[in-house]
Amino acid sequence: MVSVHSDVSAESVLAAFKIVVAGGFGAGKTTLVGAVSEVRPLHTEEALSRAGIGVDDPIAGKTTTTVAMDFGRITINDHLVLYLFGTPGQERFWFMWDELSYGAIGAVILADTRSLSDCFASVDYFEKCQLPFVVAINAFDDSPRYDPADVRIALDLGPAVPIMFCDARHSGSVKEVLITLVEHVLATSPATPDPVVSPGPPPADPPPEDPPRLGAAGFFGAPTVPTAEERWPAGRPA
Amino acid sequence: MAPADKWIDRNAGPVVRPYALTGGRTEQADGQVLDLITIVVAQDPALLGGRADLTPEEGMIVGLCQRPVTVTDLSSSTALPLGVVRILLADLIQRGRITVVPPLRPGDQPSAELLKEVLHGLRTL
Repeated sequence: MVSVHSDVSAESVLAAFKIVVAGGFGAGKTTLVGAVSEVRPLHTEEALSRAGIGVDDPIAGKTTTTVAMDFGRITINDHLVLYLFGTPGQERFWFMWDELSYGAIGAVILADTRSLSDCFASVDYFEKCQLPFVVAINAFDDSPRYDPADVRIALDLGPAVPIMFCDARHSGSVKEVLITLVEHVLATSPATPDPVVSPGPPPADPPPEDPPRLGAAGFFGAPTVPTAEERWPAGRPA
Repeated sequence: MAPADKWIDRNAGPVVRPYALTGGRTEQADGQVLDLITIVVAQDPALLGGRADLTPEEGMIVGLCQRPVTVTDLSSSTALPLGVVRILLADLIQRGRITVVPPLRPGDQPSAELLKEVLHGLRTL
């Protein structure tokens, strides 16, 4: 028997908004959501039955029969609620992005400068579905400090995309990120907006042959393999 | 199987499998998929004669819908999987027990006024 383990919220929700929080594994998405909102669990059993085909062994993978994800809930006032949904990190849940992004007002991409390439898929996805987004660089103690302008170049972001530092552990910092996002949404929303069109799940990895991506990876120290001509301009040594 | 691997209590998963709650169905009766933040509300129960015709799960949903509530909150509060809640809600909507609260403005994007309200709310958080 299913039990009601959470209280019924007292307010009447008359308008609900959602913001998607994306970023690589370990970038601090859950921390960010928890810093500003009441975190509640959500079970998405249906998700796995489709996504788990060929990936999760239906017998041995018992624990995956229910996918639990957390979401954050911010009560703005007595009739307005803002939801924060973190995107599932695992590759096989990427189809969930369509569901989470549909009707969202915007997205936060949480970047970790230690693995900035984790953001490429998110940037591609939100650009394709024309969902306004901000990039928040989570300032880990041991992460290299880069100028936001450099991160903008590395992620190949347009000049209009807000990019800022944040500390996902601190509510004040996360609040600033959300305020920046909503301001950005207000500034960019056209008079007659097009509904968010889902472009389908993003690729698991950015294609390595994509020139801006290669340059970006090189910028952050990822090994760029020189061609034989670059390595030995005068001819390959014997 | 080693004794440590035995699934007991909660580890064994729900006693009633999700498909049992939905009569084996995995899709909504009306084919419409309710969004995560779609708001639903129960019709006046006095007009519909109690909850005798409802399953326990349906009764739980109708009870939570006495005030407008989102699909996400319903799923979270009942601990029922999202897909199950959607199917049960579609049934209840078809039977006239639950209605979908129309969005304040047509379309997916909120009005600037509401966004400013969100902004104000965030600033005073």
